[in-house]
Amino acid sequence: MGNLEASSLCLLVSILAPILVGLVLLCGSRFSVNSMRALSVFGFGLPLMIGIMLYGLFDPLLAGEYNFELRLPTGLESIGIYLHLGLNGISMPLFLLAGMVGLATGLYAMNSKAERLHLYLALLLFMLGGLMGTFASIDVFFFYFFHEFALIPTFLMIGIWGGAGRRVAAIEMTIYLTLGALLSLLGLIALYVQCGVDSFSLLELRNYLSSQALSETVQNNIFALLLFGFGILVSLFPFHSWAPKGYAVAPTGAAMLHAGVLKKFGLYGLLQIAAPLLPSGAEHWFPWIVWLALGNIILIGLVTMAQKDLKMMLGYSSVMHMGYAFLGIACFSVVGVGGALLMMVAHGLSVALLFMLSTCVYHRSQTFDLSSMGGLATKAPVLAGFFVAATMASIGLPGFGNFWGEFTIFVALAETDMTKWIVAPAAIGIVISAIYGLRAVSNIFFGQAKDSFKERLESGQVTDLQPFEKLPACLLIGGLLLTGIFPRIISDDANRELAVLYPYEQSNLTAIESVILPAEADAPKEVAH
Amino acid sequence: MTPTQSLLVVIFAPLLSAVIISFFCRQRHGLAAVISVTAAGAILAFSLLAILPKGTDVVTASSAWLHFGDFEVNKGFFFDDVAKTMLIMVAFVGFLIHVFSLGYMADDPARGRYFGGLSIFMFSMLGIVLADNLIMIFVFWELVGFSSYMLIGHYFNSDEAAAASKKAFIVNRIGDLGFLVGIVYAYWHFGTTNLSGMGGYVASNPDLVKVSIAALLMCGFIGKSAQFPLHVWLPDAMAGPTPVSALIHAATMVAAGVYFLIRIEFLFPQEVLTLITWLGASVAVYAGFCAYGQNDIKKILAYSTLSQLGYMSAAFGLGFPGVALFHLITHAFFKALLFLGAGSVIHGCHHEQNIFKMGGLFKKMPITAITFLIGTLALCGVYGLSGFFSKDAILIAGGLGNAPIFYLLTLGAFMTAGYMGRLFWIAFLGQPNSDCASHAKESPPTMLVPLIVLAVLSVAGGWMGYWPDFLGGLIKDNLDHLHQMDHYDAMHKKVLLFGSAAWIVGLLVSFFFYGAGAKEDRLEKRAAPIYGFLRSRLWFDEAYDFYVEKVQQRFALLLNFIDVFVIKGVLVRGSAGIVGLVGICSRSLHDGNLHSYVYWFLAGLILLWAVASGLL
Repeated sequence: MGNLEASSLCLLVSILAPILVGLVLLCGSRFSVNSMRALSVFGFGLPLMIGIMLYGLFDPLLAGEYNFELRLPTGLESIGIYLHLGLNGISMPLFLLAGMVGLATGLYAMNSKAERLHLYLALLLFMLGGLMGTFASIDVFFFYFFHEFALIPTFLMIGIWGGAGRRVAAIEMTIYLTLGALLSLLGLIALYVQCGVDSFSLLELRNYLSSQALSETVQNNIFALLLFGFGILVSLFPFHSWAPKGYAVAPTGAAMLHAGVLKKFGLYGLLQIAAPLLPSGAEHWFPWIVWLALGNIILIGLVTMAQKDLKMMLGYSSVMHMGYAFLGIACFSVVGVGGALLMMVAHGLSVALLFMLSTCVYHRSQTFDLSSMGGLATKAPVLAGFFVAATMASIGLPGFGNFWGEFTIFVALAETDMTKWIVAPAAIGIVISAIYGLRAVSNIFFGQAKDSFKERLESGQVTDLQPFEKLPACLLIGGLLLTGIFPRIISDDANRELAVLYPYEQSNLTAIESVILPAEADAPKEVAH
Repeated sequence: MTPTQSLLVVIFAPLLSAVIISFFCRQRHGLAAVISVTAAGAILAFSLLAILPKGTDVVTASSAWLHFGDFEVNKGFFFDDVAKTMLIMVAFVGFLIHVFSLGYMADDPARGRYFGGLSIFMFSMLGIVLADNLIMIFVFWELVGFSSYMLIGHYFNSDEAAAASKKAFIVNRIGDLGFLVGIVYAYWHFGTTNLSGMGGYVASNPDLVKVSIAALLMCGFIGKSAQFPLHVWLPDAMAGPTPVSALIHAATMVAAGVYFLIRIEFLFPQEVLTLITWLGASVAVYAGFCAYGQNDIKKILAYSTLSQLGYMSAAFGLGFPGVALFHLITHAFFKALLFLGAGSVIHGCHHEQNIFKMGGLFKKMPITAITFLIGTLALCGVYGLSGFFSKDAILIAGGLGNAPIFYLLTLGAFMTAGYMGRLFWIAFLGQPNSDCASHAKESPPTMLVPLIVLAVLSVAGGWMGYWPDFLGGLIKDNLDHLHQMDHYDAMHKKVLLFGSAAWIVGLLVSFFFYGAGAKEDRLEKRAAPIYGFLRSRLWFDEAYDFYVEKVQQRFALLLNFIDVFVIKGVLVRGSAGIVGLVGICSRSLHDGNLHSYVYWFLAGLILLWAVASGLL
């Protein structure tokens, strides 16, 4: 038990360490650059170290319960709020994702030439602390609180370090995301009120609801609040307008952390809280999710193809890929939600990498305009290699985690006859994403350089990827390869957990067993393996 | 060493090589070449080791890859006689092409990347050969697509190569779309995608075969093997280095589509088989016509590959997967030979690829010329050479099964001899037509040895009697079955007559029409409309370009417009009241002073806390 308590404290440390380092940086504008970097390496790196350690200690047999539970009083016990931390098979991979993207972001940001670097790093560290907290919270109140805690620095960073047009984009993003957060908060509070167990603890809510489900109308209404609230935060079609423009003007660090991790908050809320607690609500809204998610995949996919600006394209492509995660959750099965989880982790890594690399491209080309580049691979072959790899990951090439996410979701869709038809339109996305992804790669790196860019290329100012850019890129690519080659590092733990959260029978496999001759019916599993 | 261990070495050696090269040998080109060739050698050695244990037992081994609920993916080997035959071919041809590349790519400034790409390709291709389930096949299927993308785009500075690599990947993806949906449906239909598992189910209950699943899986084959209507990427793929064209776009990867069909032959109902037959036969003839309109030596060979793939799929569709596999193997030998021969010519002529700029190469490059001639004759199906046996079997199967297909394929054989004759007479005979040709030199031994070895195989590869017992089981079964069919003898004579007539007439007509070492295309001069028609390739590329540029892209732009102006502009701005209000409020807070932002933030936080804890 002593071991367990120490590891629970680690969970707290992983949240507080970045925040504390951030506070120190905030106060000390007089730090030398080197000490500032040393400090922030500590702040950015510690959560990942703790995450890896906890992953090693993780006990999957506790499915249904939480590992590393820690419950601290907050002074709000009267309304059932504790700082209740812990990890399960679903939050563990996202916790690691946050740590990994956080470290990569930090490593890249601390070498960037941002003005008032200490402030920039401090805000990123706050964000990271909030993210670690979101995924480590069992208490729904803190789950939400940490999200807001991470969201506010995003707005500030866009407002301060954003690119051209930041004002409009920041306001639009703020309105949208605040609205989304507000709706989901309403939903969460409604859930709290309706359950009447005077607790925000997810475990207690779950226990209560498993014995006594809410009435269908209540479920439908609360699920609607959560679906559209979280949906706005994840850029569900047609509430996506904030995303592309917002990411286009956001400073790289903020874009990496937000698109990579913070945006997954909404999906995480849906699959960890909303869908398991409100099953008939989820069933009721199922057709809505499907149609809107197909809007994400096909309509936004086509819109992505029309983009001429690299960052806008990445922003739209990220909106598009969220559609798959929604479809996975809509399946409401272990397979579907598992696929969505894989997709979330892999997409987080790949989109963060792409945002980072697109800035690397910008530093060399001084433009995001896809039509005025070309031939960059001659001068920057390593950058080209990373960019191709990241693009391939995001368009679902096997070997990277994204493939397993998409594929599992397709499998989940085909599981029942009712959702079978969705596979074909959803799979069109793999062609669409290949088209815009490869078009971008080819426009930036291959072929002959456009005239304006040619001079720059030949002037010798264009260098290949520097070590400080390579290090975070390698980290993210490493994560993508790891999830692509050994998807079980996520799926084994998650599978157990999901079996508890989604105990619904929906397999079509029985159909085949009845078709096969009776004597064969018992044998299929043996023949298969 | 057990066969499973040997197979593990076979598949991981190239992966290891690719990893080492991409991390440590990007600048050390010589070392990269050595590592890659060593890996190819290891593949060959351990493949031999894996097939040598005699007996017909099938090696299987698998372990879990991913598991969610009812969905399980395994990674594993299914090493039966078909896989053995294919493995030896891939390992052997792959090794020779690696050796050839040592010479061909000697001056290339990016050899490291090239050899790394070859290793990734070998890894992915071997994965397809050995995989025991559809999902694993799909994984490696996509990976060969990626290696093909990477290697076609090797000369990425040229716009042509950049466009070709993109096109190859995207067109393949369209086929894979169907393939993917097919796998997903098959998974829930059979409860597994394991090849032997599905085979067992179908054997016990033939009703399980479904047209829809078979047709969807067929899409994957159409993309990878460049059949109608997704054939457009293959000729463009010739923008890659020539050894790549030989390995990927002639001998192995494009044939993987046919191999895949053979692996899942039991899933195909008659309707889909008939469709595949007609697709194959029509490509066989269509590609033959297209080849006449080409002047680039590699493009001619590319269309020839298309047409031969058509023969293979026709054989498959006629119900003789073994015969398709037979042609796949012999084709791999002579087509790799022809491409490498073309590579040798291109190398000798300083990267000249237009046959009308060549001429007289027989004297300058005798070994290349003789081996190329052997390859040409084998392709045309001259009696006794490898192509004769396999093509003969396909024609007999056609004659016995479907008369129109038989005539189409015979027409294809005639065309083959014609365009190959045209190529050979113009490029190798007569007088040099340009400086490059007159300064051509014979290639170095690293390039000639693979040519000679492949020439030997192109001659002898079809002599089934000399194949080891443990190879080609399916081929022998199918041939025996063919021999026992009614009217076999009569048909055999007919095919012998027609087939021989086809190559004799084809070669002679092309010789008389083009003559030796022509400087220009007489067809273009004499009959411009016909030539233009051949050159048009039936406007497939134009139609697709039109669709992409004028329909798809415009539709995307329209949607973008709607997205920006309707969804964002009207719907969102429609609630302008709220937006304006919040805007005014937030503007008063947006005083641009960072400290105040932070203070506001903290104040809000404290306020929230106070309200929640009941202090206020």
